[in-house]
Amino acid sequence: MKRIFATFGFLAIFVLAANTAFAQCSASDMADNCITQMSDGFNFVKSFPIDGEKGAKNKIEYSYVFAKGTEYAINICTTGEAPDGIIVSLYDSNRRQVTTNQANGKLFKGVVYNCNSTGIYYITFTFKDSNAFCGGSVLGFRR
Amino acid sequence: MKKLSLFSLMLLALWSCGSGKNADAESYEAALADTKLAQPQISKEVIHDILQQIPSPLEISVLLKESGTRYNPAILNNPKAVSQYNTSYQKAVNLGVYGTDLGYTNIYEQNQDAIFYLNSIKQLADELSIGQFFDFGTIKRLATNSSNLDSLLYLTTKNFNNINGYLQDQNRANLSILILTGGWLEALHITAEVAKANPDNAVLIERIGEQKMILDNIMLLLSFYSESNPNMAHYMETFQPLANAYEKVQIIHTYAEPTFVEVNGMLVVKDNSTSEVKITAENLKEITETTQAIRTKIIN
Repeated sequence: MKRIFATFGFLAIFVLAANTAFAQCSASDMADNCITQMSDGFNFVKSFPIDGEKGAKNKIEYSYVFAKGTEYAINICTTGEAPDGIIVSLYDSNRRQVTTNQANGKLFKGVVYNCNSTGIYYITFTFKDSNAFCGGSVLGFRR
Repeated sequence: MKKLSLFSLMLLALWSCGSGKNADAESYEAALADTKLAQPQISKEVIHDILQQIPSPLEISVLLKESGTRYNPAILNNPKAVSQYNTSYQKAVNLGVYGTDLGYTNIYEQNQDAIFYLNSIKQLADELSIGQFFDFGTIKRLATNSSNLDSLLYLTTKNFNNINGYLQDQNRANLSILILTGGWLEALHITAEVAKANPDNAVLIERIGEQKMILDNIMLLLSFYSESNPNMAHYMETFQPLANAYEKVQIIHTYAEPTFVEVNGMLVVKDNSTSEVKITAENLKEITETTQAIRTKIIN
């Protein structure tokens, strides 16, 4: 009997842990809510769901035309305070990386990019040691 | 900022929708029968990505505000002209035009004019059988209560994908493209008119030159449908002179490594690359006049 309880107990803990780690990703809702996390003084431009499909998808990419003389802020939102291993990288039209939230040995919850060159930019989200592979992001601008 | 947000809101409202589940498919089919076309060779995802790249007129509106130019309703399309748009194509492209005009009236707090444009937009949206996606009551309320506009802007913006997806499912994503094209053309027209009144505003002129990149995208989108639909081919032909005029504009990019600092938990990156728009007074004149000529064709 003890063995049965132990087995079910173990299974229950396992299932609970699995549910916590791989709960349904509400990336659209997170993107919805992320607007409140937008940096002060920035105007809303777009928001982006980040659904890594429980790790099956390692890269999510969006693109947007950034304008010279404009400052852009990209914030990442997750269920917690930390970015949960979500790395945002910004690439210019020649696919050169111009910024990322991974710097100085830290992962920042957002980046501010002072654009000096108008063009198409690619905003990519990747994952490193992420638990949920799930989040949202918001892009804002100010001049 | 509130006005600027609302400017974008008004244009984006054209794209806004609810759940999309209440659409009267039969009515929709009937109203848009003449726009149904074969799917282009290009995937929905590619079209969606290109549409998403087109910047919000909100950004250019900042420049309009900065220029200090006075409100000039004479440069806008007549809201009463709405009744002369008969085909779905004319309705779609002028829906975009009116959206930008609505934003312009709002920047200058011309509420009465804004109501006229809202009414015209509602009529066109209803006639296109996409009125169910346009929450006229909410937009009107937002126009008179501009608190917390960023959130409200977001609420309308997020539905863009839904309406575009809906139109794509109906094989009518071309209408999305025409709404966007009309809105962009009107924004370019207004900006060019403001630049004409402010010939020393180099930033404004540079921004007009930068529209070359956006026009490239619009021409690309139109080209996807041109082979399968003569009406879309007609719009592409209509815009070709503007593309030709923009050919003479040069945008030179010079790359330099960015630098960064940490500020309040955010990584602040300084772009050391530069872009320079080379546009002569002659180029600008040609672009302004060509824009005017195309717009005249579209709104009349």
